[in-house]
Amino acid sequence: MSDSTTTTKTQPLIFQPKPERAAPPSTVGVIGWMRENLFSSVSNTLMTIVGAYIVYTFLSAVLGWAVFNAVWQAEDRRECLDLVGRSGACWPGVIQWFDNLIYGLYPKDQLWRINFGFLALILWVAPLWIKRVQSKVAIGITAVMLYPFLASYFFLGGEKGIIWTVLISAGLTGLIWVWLTTFTEIRSGKSFTRTMGEMLGASGKSEEEQLKFGRLSLIGVFAISMLLVSQWELSFVSTRQWGGLFLTLVISGIGITFSMPSGILLALGRRSTMPLIRLLCTGFIELFRSVPLITILFMFNTMLPLFLPVGVEVNQLLRAIVAVCLFAAAYMAEVIRGGLQAIPKGQYEAAAAMGLGYWQATALIIMPQALKIMIPTIVGNFIGLFKDTTLVSIIGLFDLLNMARSVGEDSRWLGLFIEPFFFITLIYFFFCFLMSQYSINLERKLEAGARR
Amino acid sequence: MAITESTSMRGAKPSSSILNNETFRSIVFQFVTVVCIFGLGWYFVTNTIDNMAQRGMSAGFGFLNVSAGFGISFTLIPYREGDTYFRVFQVGIANTLLVAVISIVGATVIGLIVGLMRMSKNWLVRNIARWYIEILRNTPLLLQIIAWYFGVFNLLPRPRDSLDWGELFFLNNRGFYMPGPVPGEGFTVTLIALAIAIAGAVLLRRWARKRQEATGKYFPAVSVGLAVIVALPLTVFLLSGAPLAWDVPALQGFNYRGGLNVPPALCALVLALAIYTSCFIAEIVRSGVQSVSHGQTEAARALGVKPSWTMRLIILPQALRVIIPPLISQYLNVTKNSSLAIAIGFPDLVSVWMNTSLNQSGRAIPIVAMTMAFYCTVSLFVSLIMNVYNRRILLKER
Repeated sequence: MSDSTTTTKTQPLIFQPKPERAAPPSTVGVIGWMRENLFSSVSNTLMTIVGAYIVYTFLSAVLGWAVFNAVWQAEDRRECLDLVGRSGACWPGVIQWFDNLIYGLYPKDQLWRINFGFLALILWVAPLWIKRVQSKVAIGITAVMLYPFLASYFFLGGEKGIIWTVLISAGLTGLIWVWLTTFTEIRSGKSFTRTMGEMLGASGKSEEEQLKFGRLSLIGVFAISMLLVSQWELSFVSTRQWGGLFLTLVISGIGITFSMPSGILLALGRRSTMPLIRLLCTGFIELFRSVPLITILFMFNTMLPLFLPVGVEVNQLLRAIVAVCLFAAAYMAEVIRGGLQAIPKGQYEAAAAMGLGYWQATALIIMPQALKIMIPTIVGNFIGLFKDTTLVSIIGLFDLLNMARSVGEDSRWLGLFIEPFFFITLIYFFFCFLMSQYSINLERKLEAGARR
Repeated sequence: MAITESTSMRGAKPSSSILNNETFRSIVFQFVTVVCIFGLGWYFVTNTIDNMAQRGMSAGFGFLNVSAGFGISFTLIPYREGDTYFRVFQVGIANTLLVAVISIVGATVIGLIVGLMRMSKNWLVRNIARWYIEILRNTPLLLQIIAWYFGVFNLLPRPRDSLDWGELFFLNNRGFYMPGPVPGEGFTVTLIALAIAIAGAVLLRRWARKRQEATGKYFPAVSVGLAVIVALPLTVFLLSGAPLAWDVPALQGFNYRGGLNVPPALCALVLALAIYTSCFIAEIVRSGVQSVSHGQTEAARALGVKPSWTMRLIILPQALRVIIPPLISQYLNVTKNSSLAIAIGFPDLVSVWMNTSLNQSGRAIPIVAMTMAFYCTVSLFVSLIMNVYNRRILLKER
């Protein structure tokens, strides 16, 4: 540097870079992108033109039918056909059946119960996405263990004996606890029981005693909800009246929830060192995986009444749910076994070296890793199960698919099949696509630790 | 495994009680489980016996020789109304396998094309394939089958106004009609020629491979073999005077007569199955090809392997190793999914056996057992093939 300042008189040649020239316009921006991705060669251009033509015909046909040519107000199908013939969709049929497609034949004045039931679930699991909430495991477990009681009372209603009252109260307590603990954790980072313990117990007492007070407050919450529940009366709605999207969500929800723990147990059983357990688990898994779901549904539909004592009636929904649950468990078991096989032996050995027993090692070391690597497959299984619930329509349950089919069998909308099918296709696609995108997202998030 | 070893060592210590002994505990645990399962099984069996006695049902396979007495709308193998239940079972199996085979072929072809499109350098083509897969994969198969049936094949014109291609192929709401081959006298010679040609092609390929391994000389066995398979039977066929007539369907009264008729339910089922499965096959093909590292292509180029050979000799054999196992399990899925035929009334095994026959004869237990046995056999057979294949590709590894 000092050199150049002393020899300024001679004006040495200093390298002065010229400013960069802009890249040729044909290689940057929209045009560049198009040249590279759509028109890079003759065959590529040809493919682009053919592809664009296909996309155009497809979209214009679908949009023209579903939106531009569609009829939105009509009394019956005849009127639709008179207006546009088959060139446009006849949506009034779907609009009129909308409530049935979503809620089935549930009494119109009771629909709020279904909405509240699902709202309760959303409220229950919503804290899982709040960053500052710490007791996420407890919230998840209560959602699986306690929410079903609350939901089943919302959906079924009717007489409740003393046992049911206690169970439903436990459900309500769970929901209240989730939100109380969410609030206290957001505010002070301490769980509800701890906060209550600090408030109720005198400050001088030990932590143990403070927690005692905290737990006492939980019992208080339970007592209050018990009081509420005993005053709360909902009319009975038979499962025969359940249907539509509601029924689809109930069956797949129960199937998904059941398949996880039972799949884990079956997978562990199949890898067990105890020969009889291994044999039983392998037999169960292989039997249920090698036959189609519809045969299992048929089997339970005809055989379950035979299996139970004379005179015991099992309602059809329950038969379907049992079949779906067992089927889902067998599939989930194989997925989880795949995850377990991918865990290197060193992990088991390290866990044993740390002095962990079988269940501790499985719960703390092996399962978290196995489940993590199998997330895409597990979610894929959930999606498959959600789609497979349509099969219950074959044994006569009015799920979303069967409801859509009955639109076209209604005398006013006779033959109206494509429109309700189109509508429920959107619903199924929405749920499945949401699940698959969420799993991709989750996978990326969990990978972050390994990526560094 | 390691855990059990370590705990059993600890259990062997004299200070521990017998409750801490791994072997003892495992025996007790297994004993309790088995007793529970058998107890449950016993409970079910006694209940079933009671129930059946009450409803006047009987188990046993005696009904298989009884005449079924109902018609079946579509049968691949000959069936008359007076035939036995066992024949119904066979008809159901034949129909299920027919649906499965056609759908598998269709799904593989479509899936291969879509899978290659998915990897295209062209953005538009790639995304068309992507959304084709996303949309069809994320909607239930049953919905697709029913939509094809009620939404497409049911709305086709009546036979009188049917769509036709060259007066040979007709499509209407009674199904798809096409000319059927009627072999004349001496057609068997052509079939024999075909068999000889196939055997010859296989031998040729063997010889070519042996010679290449011994001397390094290459012989285009595949193309020559294909040429032989086409040319030999064709020559024989023409020389023997083309003894094959075509029975062209023709409109008679309200419907078409003659030719081959594919009923709408079968069309809808096969189409839906092929299209649905093609999405999964496309993804399998893509992941298989992408699993072969790019270095393989570069190494092949560096060694001077022709670009046209790189795909066949380097990429494909390695990709197939990844592709084949999930592909076969997809084929198994097609076979299982063909049972959805019942929703649109196509007489496959489940529909004709587990539904109609079961309702008619009331023999729930043997019928359910036979249906399950069929699907289990298919699945066991497929996993046997898989194991053989896996062992074969394992041998090639170092």
